Amino acid sequence: MYCYIYDELTQHQRFAPELALIENRLTDLGIAGKIVRMALFRNVQEMVRDEIRRGTTSVIAVGNDETVHKVIDAISGTSVTLGIIPLGDGNGLAALLGVPHGLAACDVLSARIVETIDAGIVNGKRFLTIISVPNFSAELTCDGVYRVVPDEPSLLEIRNLAGDASKSERVSDPTDGRLETILRVSVKHGWLGRRSLCESVLPLQSLAIRSEIPITIKADGDEMTGTRFDIGIERGAIRVISGRGRKF
Amino acid sequence: MASSGQETIIAQGVKVEGDFSSTGDVLIDGEVAGTVRTAASLRVGETARISADVTAATAVIAGEIQGNVHIQDRLELLDTSVVHGDVECRVLSVAAGATINGRVTMGGGKE
Repeated sequence: MYCYIYDELTQHQRFAPELALIENRLTDLGIAGKIVRMALFRNVQEMVRDEIRRGTTSVIAVGNDETVHKVIDAISGTSVTLGIIPLGDGNGLAALLGVPHGLAACDVLSARIVETIDAGIVNGKRFLTIISVPNFSAELTCDGVYRVVPDEPSLLEIRNLAGDASKSERVSDPTDGRLETILRVSVKHGWLGRRSLCESVLPLQSLAIRSEIPITIKADGDEMTGTRFDIGIERGAIRVISGRGRKF
Repeated sequence: MASSGQETIIAQGVKVEGDFSSTGDVLIDGEVAGTVRTAASLRVGETARISADVTAATAVIAGEIQGNVHIQDRLELLDTSVVHGDVECRVLSVAAGATINGRVTMGGGKE
């Protein structure tokens, strides 16, 4: 049983013609289902959990990366399969999963190639893609056995499923049970003091960030502020429908 | 706990302290204190400063190591390398200019 979660953004008039085509195509493919529309003051997590209780086996996020992030906590650790119909801007996640934009995504849903991927967890909250921390200068405890400290404020990225394939950037593998941790530090070279970015890469199962002053991190785009962040990985937490062009 | 079979890079501008362990290839250009252990190959760049006992399957060293170096197979010391500690390996290649201050044991390195 399919349940389609329409993001608020899809309720804009400009998406109406494409949504009509999508709904017709889903009916033709025999995978039409209940449509649930996100709205202000409606708890998305609760809506999705209610649908799962009623027997939904596939939750399809219709919208962009943010739509997926909104439903991810409700379906992680369940046997429910996640699908995406990308609409609008900001669909990097769908691109990594090999799901084309708009109407063409219906055929990917119908082909139903299911991958089981990991979810990251930060202070009990799940994330699917990436944690980023600009100006990171705190201490990072890696797998509980060694510490990493940058010499200067750096950019810290902790990736589960991330990377810009269009820029030939390495895409982290969300099936390997590791979080790819990247620290980019600006380092002076030579007498002229020219600076270049040096990139450390650590594949880790768990990390702890400890800072004397509160720092702000972004997990799947959501900001969290604090002095302690415990980050881990939940193996095989999410079943997701991917296309043949997936990037990992 | 070991890092995975993926390559680990410890670049310049980063300090690592503790027991670093990996099953994949490791490249070090930064500073490390503690122990370094990998089941695969280790490359120590010119800018690396390691104060640790080092264990690896194979290694190419261009930087400085203060500690014992135990390599199961082939160890290559480049001309900029400095090792203050005992070296144990099966096959050793030393470039002119490399410095070793310690005992060198060869042939018994392979387990």
